Amino acid sequence: MLTPVEKRLLDRLQAGLPLAPRPFKKLGEELGLSEAEVIDKLKELKERGILRHLGASPDSRRLGFVTTLAAVSVPPERAEEVARGIGERPEVTHCYLRRHRMNIWFTIVAQNFEEVEKILEEISHEARATARHFPAEKLFKLRATFKL
Amino acid sequence: MGKNIEITELEKRLVDLLAEGLPLVERPFLVLAERLGVSEEEILTTIEGLLEKKIIRRLGATIRHNLSGYEGNVMVAWKVPEERIEEVGNSLASKPFITHCYLRRTYPDWPYNLYTMVHAETEEACRRLVEQLAEELALSDYEMLFTEKEITRKKRKYFTA
Repeated sequence: MLTPVEKRLLDRLQAGLPLAPRPFKKLGEELGLSEAEVIDKLKELKERGILRHLGASPDSRRLGFVTTLAAVSVPPERAEEVARGIGERPEVTHCYLRRHRMNIWFTIVAQNFEEVEKILEEISHEARATARHFPAEKLFKLRATFKL
Repeated sequence: MGKNIEITELEKRLVDLLAEGLPLVERPFLVLAERLGVSEEEILTTIEGLLEKKIIRRLGATIRHNLSGYEGNVMVAWKVPEERIEEVGNSLASKPFITHCYLRRTYPDWPYNLYTMVHAETEEACRRLVEQLAEELALSDYEMLFTEKEITRKKRKYFTA
């Protein structure tokens, strides 16, 4: 599905973009591509949905925010509608329907845990079911990159 | 849990712009510079500072695994006895096909305390990996939570509405 060149480009880009005025030119030099080829390839990968994002992921905790994983179980026929409502909130960054009795899972990034509780209360009200959260007590691993 | 650190106005605005994503043009940092009314060089040094202070983890690509040959991925919630958390957490974290591993709060009716994201080429391969892990680590109580549908995946805006 991915050509060898695309794999090399994405692997290199997962490690990080060169901090230079013309970062794609630098990348191209490393990979034997022209600047225009790099940019075109990336646009194409973005269009195909393979390149999700080229940018930064802020560490919300360093910024003083809290994050948590939460879930709510609702009848299957209402699940998608409820999940869409949850996903539209600005504090909800991920929301998935999962094949399980506990069928809606989402992540919250908020100013503090009081705000998390308030959001969960509102969601519970809208979902007509109790939304609960599972805050992290310890991080063993977080790796956003993936060798292709 | 939140450790507050000093952050300048420029850094705040830049964090939100970088989270939004860089434009795919020859001089992406110049585009940001123009939006924020500073020089391209200032953008580059500010990004270096954000990386140094670990406010951003990296500036790079995020790919969609399920379109790049890793079609299967599953969130697994494991029930691990208290005294084995460290051992099991470290074992799970050492696996290349596991990208996330967290210890999390439990509830009486939801006793699962370790959460992992497991990636493989297909859903079947995922299932086999999880079954192997369960056997290897002697864990019999776990839930596989396969994705039915992605509803939302976005970056939060921290400082700008």
